[in-house]
Amino acid sequence: MEKKIKVCVKNLNVYYGEKQALFDVCMDINQNEITALIGPSGCGKSTFLRCLNRMNDVIDICKVEGSIKIDGEDIYNDEVRVEKLRERVGMVFQKPNPFPKSIFENVAYGPRIHGLAKDKNELEEIVYSSLKKAAIFDEVKDRLDETGTSLSGGQQQRLCIARAISVNPDVILMDEPCSALDPIATAKIEALMEELKKEYTIIIVTHSMQQAARVSSKTGFFHLGNLIEVNDTETIFSTPANEKTLEYVTGRFG
Amino acid sequence: MSDHLVESYDKQLELINSNLVKMGGLVEQQVKDSLKALDEKDTEFAEEILKKDDKIDNLEKDIYALAYKIIAMRQPMANDLRTVVSALSIANDLERMGDHATNVAKRVANVKVSMPSQSISKIVQMGDDVQKMIKNVLDAFIKMSEKKALNVWDSDIDIDETYLEIYRELLQTMADNPDTINGCAHLLTIAKNIERIGDYAQNIAEDIHFIVTGETLERKSDNAGQWEDVDIKT
Repeated sequence: MEKKIKVCVKNLNVYYGEKQALFDVCMDINQNEITALIGPSGCGKSTFLRCLNRMNDVIDICKVEGSIKIDGEDIYNDEVRVEKLRERVGMVFQKPNPFPKSIFENVAYGPRIHGLAKDKNELEEIVYSSLKKAAIFDEVKDRLDETGTSLSGGQQQRLCIARAISVNPDVILMDEPCSALDPIATAKIEALMEELKKEYTIIIVTHSMQQAARVSSKTGFFHLGNLIEVNDTETIFSTPANEKTLEYVTGRFG
Repeated sequence: MSDHLVESYDKQLELINSNLVKMGGLVEQQVKDSLKALDEKDTEFAEEILKKDDKIDNLEKDIYALAYKIIAMRQPMANDLRTVVSALSIANDLERMGDHATNVAKRVANVKVSMPSQSISKIVQMGDDVQKMIKNVLDAFIKMSEKKALNVWDSDIDIDETYLEIYRELLQTMADNPDTINGCAHLLTIAKNIERIGDYAQNIAEDIHFIVTGETLERKSDNAGQWEDVDIKT
């Protein structure tokens, strides 16, 4: 079955002042799949990710050229409201960053400011279902009033995922979501991602090639601001077309 | 391709390859010696050959241990993974080749002077061709040459054909003179052992192709299915 393209990136060039960070990147990202972005530090993979929900807008010297379409709509179009975009394209960061509020409030915050619940019951419903989808509900259901920061690192990250999905996004961006977590917490997040991809399109930046190999269907390899190669994950890690990709995945440079 | 960032990783991969080459060299020698023992009907020399098989078996164990260690500790990817996984298969093939060589040596004592010399010399000739296959496949391995590996793969067809000729001849000899049945049965087994060594060399050629290309070699022997009952003249 032909996969639907969720995100279509064409000729993306990104500059931080004089310095060009991305060169003519073109990439199609399939819906309901996990796409991994790999490459050495400074290769542009996080810059690419941050373009997808216009996180780079907050950096004054950052200039973005080219087109990024989500469901056919150019997200850099003047009519697109950034806060609406970020409702559709959620983000989970490297370091778990719950708000210094209760576990409940961490998840309720988004739906409340976006006006997604008409009353308290509905808000509760959204919070509970988000916590359940993020596979953390059973661990926190008796302590929803405690602060989010009181949780373990892995739990905090799943709370952040619950927070991201509480506003009902289509796409979830993950920037090294497991790099601060132990292997058990990492495995839980990876298992969760498997579940989440049924409903969402997930794009993950990771430094762990094993993680990319484990979780993703497609993998893109970035180097010096260029998307060198993107293909089925199995191909990237077994018979990549490009010599640089091969050298990177086998640990010959990085 | 450039070296790994971690030098000790390169050293482990080099060690696995050099052990395979060493093992291949020993197998080559065992095959050569077993054919010499057969040709000269030298039972004492054949005894010597049997004692040397342990060395090959031990190298196989070393390669297994090292491959296991690399997989567990390095999580090799792409061509590195294929190298390590194929090393297990190649080591196993070489070990079996060594066993077949000792099987030949074991039967030297049973080959009487009265055996049909034409068949024996044909078997020795087939053995020479198999030795060339071993040499060439080791060369293809050292150079990681897909082309050389394919040449080896193709050359097995000649071995199979010679084996069929020998098979027919020996059956005819037995039909002509039932006194030779005992000895000819041994010769048949010897011929089969040597033919099998060729098959293992062909397997190794397939492994080399896999290491280089990442794809399984999809080829079929032209003479597949040529086994039909031999028409014996009585």
